[in-house]
Amino acid sequence: MKQVININFQGRVVPIEVPAYDILKAYIESLSQHFSLEDGKDEIINDIENRIGELFQERIKAGAICITDEDVLAIIKSIGRPEDFDDADSSATTGSTYSAESNTQQQQQSTYTNTSGKRRLFRDENHKLVGGVCSGIANYFDIDIVIVRIVFLVLLFSFGIGFIPYIILWIAVPSSATTVIGSRRKKLYRDNDEKYIAGVCSGIGHYLGINAWIPRVLFLLPLLSFVSRNRFGNFGNFGDFNFFSFSPGALFIYIILWLVLPEAKTTAEKLEMKGEKVDMNTIKASVVEEMKGVKERVQKFGKEVVNVTNESGKKVGAEADSLARKSGRSLGDIIVLLVKGFVYFILAIVGISLIFALFGFGIAAMGVFPMKDFLLTEGWQNLFAWGTLLFFIIAPMIAVITWIIRKLAKMKTGSKMLKLGFSAMWVIGWVSIILLIASLSKDFRHSSNINEQEILLPNPGIKSLEVTTLSPGTRFTRNSWFSMEPFQGTDEDSAIIRNTTVHIVKATNDSFRVTLIRTANGNTRRNADTLASLINFNAEQKDSLLIIDQGINVNKVNKFRNQHVIVTIYVPVGKQIKINDRVNLSSRTNFDGPFTNSWGRDFESIKFENLEDGWNEGEWYTMTKNGLYTKNGNPADSYKRKNVDINSNGIDVRDGNGRLRINRNGITIEDNNDSDGNYRYDNKPMDKFDSIKMNIKKDEKRFKDSLQKAKEKIEKQLEKYENKDESNTFLLKSLPFKNALVLFN
Amino acid sequence: MNIDNTASQMRKGVLEFCILSVIKQGEAYPSDIIDKMKAANLNIFEGTLYPLLTRLKNAELLTYRWVESNSGPPRKYFLLTEKGADFYKELEATWNELANAVTALTK
Repeated sequence: MKQVININFQGRVVPIEVPAYDILKAYIESLSQHFSLEDGKDEIINDIENRIGELFQERIKAGAICITDEDVLAIIKSIGRPEDFDDADSSATTGSTYSAESNTQQQQQSTYTNTSGKRRLFRDENHKLVGGVCSGIANYFDIDIVIVRIVFLVLLFSFGIGFIPYIILWIAVPSSATTVIGSRRKKLYRDNDEKYIAGVCSGIGHYLGINAWIPRVLFLLPLLSFVSRNRFGNFGNFGDFNFFSFSPGALFIYIILWLVLPEAKTTAEKLEMKGEKVDMNTIKASVVEEMKGVKERVQKFGKEVVNVTNESGKKVGAEADSLARKSGRSLGDIIVLLVKGFVYFILAIVGISLIFALFGFGIAAMGVFPMKDFLLTEGWQNLFAWGTLLFFIIAPMIAVITWIIRKLAKMKTGSKMLKLGFSAMWVIGWVSIILLIASLSKDFRHSSNINEQEILLPNPGIKSLEVTTLSPGTRFTRNSWFSMEPFQGTDEDSAIIRNTTVHIVKATNDSFRVTLIRTANGNTRRNADTLASLINFNAEQKDSLLIIDQGINVNKVNKFRNQHVIVTIYVPVGKQIKINDRVNLSSRTNFDGPFTNSWGRDFESIKFENLEDGWNEGEWYTMTKNGLYTKNGNPADSYKRKNVDINSNGIDVRDGNGRLRINRNGITIEDNNDSDGNYRYDNKPMDKFDSIKMNIKKDEKRFKDSLQKAKEKIEKQLEKYENKDESNTFLLKSLPFKNALVLFN
Repeated sequence: MNIDNTASQMRKGVLEFCILSVIKQGEAYPSDIIDKMKAANLNIFEGTLYPLLTRLKNAELLTYRWVESNSGPPRKYFLLTEKGADFYKELEATWNELANAVTALTK
């Protein structure tokens, strides 16, 4: 059942079905667009309309009750679509010039300019390599296509992200062949008739000629998997935070398509949406059509690149020259032009990188989002977090993508409501993030008191101690590509944070000693203390093993407030220590040679950083008077390792406290320290750590003394041998530096 | 080189000549022109013909006459102007030269 209307068409009354009328209107529109540059445009259209009217009349005379869409399509077929007569008349479009070059130029102009003279972004079917996206962009901005292609290729190879915008543009941007309304090609529309939400899936189904349920399921699957993940708390089961399996990804694409795709309103558009009957053959045909000559085109492109690089220099020179001559522009103008171009280029790069930064940030934020329960308190903070995610991150991302695509494709500018809505969301987003940060920093403001707790060792007199952990590492390293310090692993209602530091110092007596320090932050000092005391961290000795927990458990009640545990192991001189590689703490282990400053810090503001590197997990270290050494005699302290130079000029030993040089000028000892010998310890250590400080001072003093002694000894011997008039070599033999002797000989 | 492109370029060049020669035989209605060309195995869309006619008319090579039709509004019949006749002669000479040359070359 179709409605029939009577139209007055070129002086004839024609009864016509409504869908046929829509097609007719669209066809005439496409013609007037095609001939828009022509001088006698109105006359041509008029003549053609007249002819169509005549044909209508013939049909009615032949007994048709009204004009159907089949009639209209048949007539269109006989008169031809604009793309059919493109080849025959494009030469004439240019008027008197017949050179091939001006032809194509003119053709492009007519293709890329619509009736109002505004530019529109089309995929360029005439100069395409794959989908015509690059050539379309190049045409739109009037730049060399090779440049656009190179930019896309670089994006593709460096980040793989050139791929996604290309595909989106390929889908969303109309091709120069499909802009002709009434053409045989299909167009992607949203289907309003068979929609569930916005008709995106149904439209995709029509476009690809598949059941609309396939895209629907594809969009829904990740969403469902997300729900099940949340319910059962298996974060790892569906892969980690993979962007596309992560539900916001699919949702995101859906919303963008929703905003970008036009809705099929008129019958002509609906016909376009469904296109011709699609079976395997037509899909194959259209794929073959799209891909036709990709190989040749790619080869040609390769040549083009070479040519452009060869010629562009010449070309630019010549162009600038002719420009200067033609319009009488001064060199200054050209420089201004070049500078302008450069500025635009920079601005474009900055813009693009800003967009990518926004996206990276957004994706990361979405990945972290499930962990928020371990950090944020219920109520306001949670609300702010949602506000931040939705309005500060996701909404602008959608707005930016939509804006870019709409801008490029010259679609109807978004309605005022849309703009207002996005601005309002952006404001809400800002308010949310500011309040969230304010509220969070309040919660972290105070740090707890320092409380050193002694761990009772059943057998402190053992010869060697090995630090290990019970929990195998696998459980906590699942999110291997996405690890955010200090969160190491999550569970439904607890998260492991790796805020553990192992500290190794020299013991004062000959038994091992282990202490724990728990710290935390909070909105008041009392709360911080409570949280610190709630840290459940176990360390116990079993024979020669010291078993410690791998991390600190936080849960949704006792949230992450920078809980931190410092395990201090006092190793007696002559005894051995090893940290098992299961503990995975090498970057969090620091040790206390005589010259490190690790304990000089004020614990109130301790920073969890690697204070002394060079610790190897799984390696045995022996504590000596001078600090930790490996079995083959290397000092664990890299600071010590690096600062001994022995060469033909002499011996040069440097460390934090001073410098000892033995060379032609004799022996010199420089003391870097201030008069109080405490320059490295700017901050006043807490009283509780006086014992440790004392140790350091003692070590320091001992080292200085030993240096002093060595100096005195050498000087004495020098005197002795000078008196005896002995040779230098002989002198050195009796020096206490036995290693140096070899080199000097 | 694309064969379609080259062929269409060749056709394009002679299209105006063909149209003028059809009209020269007597005033013609566009669909008659199409029919005659089709009969000669030269397929052309009406959508291509109308703009060409308009252009030739604007170049004062053609003119038209309104002829009353017994069904509906009057029809446009095209005929050559004097200028058009001269233009046609020149084209004809060129065509003969070209045709001879091509025949000689492709023998």
